[in-house]
Amino acid sequence: MLNRYSLALLLLGTISFIVSCSPKNISTSYYYQNEKVLDKMEETYKKLYQEKPFTVAFTDRKFDNLSLEIITDSISYIYQFNIHETGLADTLTAFKLNASKVVALIQQMRTIRCTWINKFDYYLYDKKNTLIMMSIKPVTLSAPFSYKRFYTLTYFPKPQYFDSSGQLLDKRRAESLRKINGEVFKRINSKVCYTISGNFR
Amino acid sequence: MKKRRTLWIKSGVMAITFIWIFLVCLISQTHAKPNYVQPFNTIVTSTQQQAIEYLENIKTLRSSTFWPNIKPALFLENIKSTVREPMNIYPGSGTNFCGYGALTYLMLQDDPLGYAKLLIQLYKEGKASFGTVNFNPSDAVRKEAGLLKFKGILDIHPAEQMWYLSLAGHFKGYLNFFNRRFDSGDENNFWASVNYAKFNRMVKKLLNYNVNAKGGDIFRPRTGDLYQYISNKMETGRVVLFINNRIVHRKDHVTIKLGVPTHFIVADKITKENGVITLLYWDYGHRTQMELSTAFFKRIVFGITDCTKTDKDVE
Repeated sequence: MLNRYSLALLLLGTISFIVSCSPKNISTSYYYQNEKVLDKMEETYKKLYQEKPFTVAFTDRKFDNLSLEIITDSISYIYQFNIHETGLADTLTAFKLNASKVVALIQQMRTIRCTWINKFDYYLYDKKNTLIMMSIKPVTLSAPFSYKRFYTLTYFPKPQYFDSSGQLLDKRRAESLRKINGEVFKRINSKVCYTISGNFR
Repeated sequence: MKKRRTLWIKSGVMAITFIWIFLVCLISQTHAKPNYVQPFNTIVTSTQQQAIEYLENIKTLRSSTFWPNIKPALFLENIKSTVREPMNIYPGSGTNFCGYGALTYLMLQDDPLGYAKLLIQLYKEGKASFGTVNFNPSDAVRKEAGLLKFKGILDIHPAEQMWYLSLAGHFKGYLNFFNRRFDSGDENNFWASVNYAKFNRMVKKLLNYNVNAKGGDIFRPRTGDLYQYISNKMETGRVVLFINNRIVHRKDHVTIKLGVPTHFIVADKITKENGVITLLYWDYGHRTQMELSTAFFKRIVFGITDCTKTDKDVE
């Protein structure tokens, strides 16, 4: 009898653990728990990008290796670095990026497990707009059986339209959802949205 | 009983499909044939200037009933800009249009006038012929062109939207077998996918090139020294590489990945120093340079298509 109760308790505990780590749970709270850091990163990246366009992606689970793309007028240069390599700062300097600020941003990304940061152009009524996208891999999203492991945030420059369940709408076809890279995004506030995805970019 | 029979039929169909896919992959492993070659950069089918003059002579373009969501002024502007700056063509973020992009990049350099005339005819008449190819896009494709969005600058390039959708609708390979009819959003999935044999077929049918291909969708090319082989081919023609982009541009942290090619790039320059290969290539609206180890390079390259001019272009 006792064994049955123990088994039931164990099963209940396991289910609770899995559910507590589910994407649904994390998505509602993650942004507000880390709002200041995330907003600061977005702001810093936007400023640095204006000086010289670049993107950063961490390519391994330990956040030791990164892929740096430096975009010039004629060519994009892709480099792979270990976070501890001195070559990273040297390369940034060679391309006239603000090495200390970029390295600080990369360290910040590593601290909060941000896998990717990028600028994305989109067009409304034929006019160009830009948004900043960043993907984070929170520890709790590494739950077993969870395929969707990345929390992706989009920072729009203007307030967006949402349906009654908070899903991002397409302005041109107001009844249809706006998908970015095939993903439906949900409202955090009028300008910031999130999705949970299997890919970080 | 009925359920069991259905299960048997389903299993049978799946098995036949897999065998068929495997055979197609084997067949697509075409091999290079020796042929007479001309230096690629001296001969073109038509010039950029001819295409510009042709487009400048079109003063007004009426809106087409066949393409209800394409504004004629924006359409014409888009064709002009692609002819002037072929490098800027952009097959769209998140789409499966990279193969069509690589093909168009080659076409704009070899036959920009042909490209311009084809797109104008397609816009005006809703269908068009080019060589032996007759494009007759479906209603769903015609309605969607001009509405693709959140694809980067492709959002405001209606001529390119029309062209990529028409190419994807016309040319079919085994990857398109289960999704042959366009529905909204299909530009991102198997409806638009391009396998290696399909890419080579498109190049052969639309461009004035002798096409030699090595490699396939599953097996890597047997070339001996891969760097040397590609380097030699680039001296005499244009080279398109079919690569496994999922390990070049990682999108997740999965350590074990299926080694399959996913992306077409046009090689512009390749050098090797101290065992490190520097590859300069075109894809998605710009040129990219990256450094790779010889082993990694070998790991990512699945297909090498080299395109050389034919004798008849020399005239």
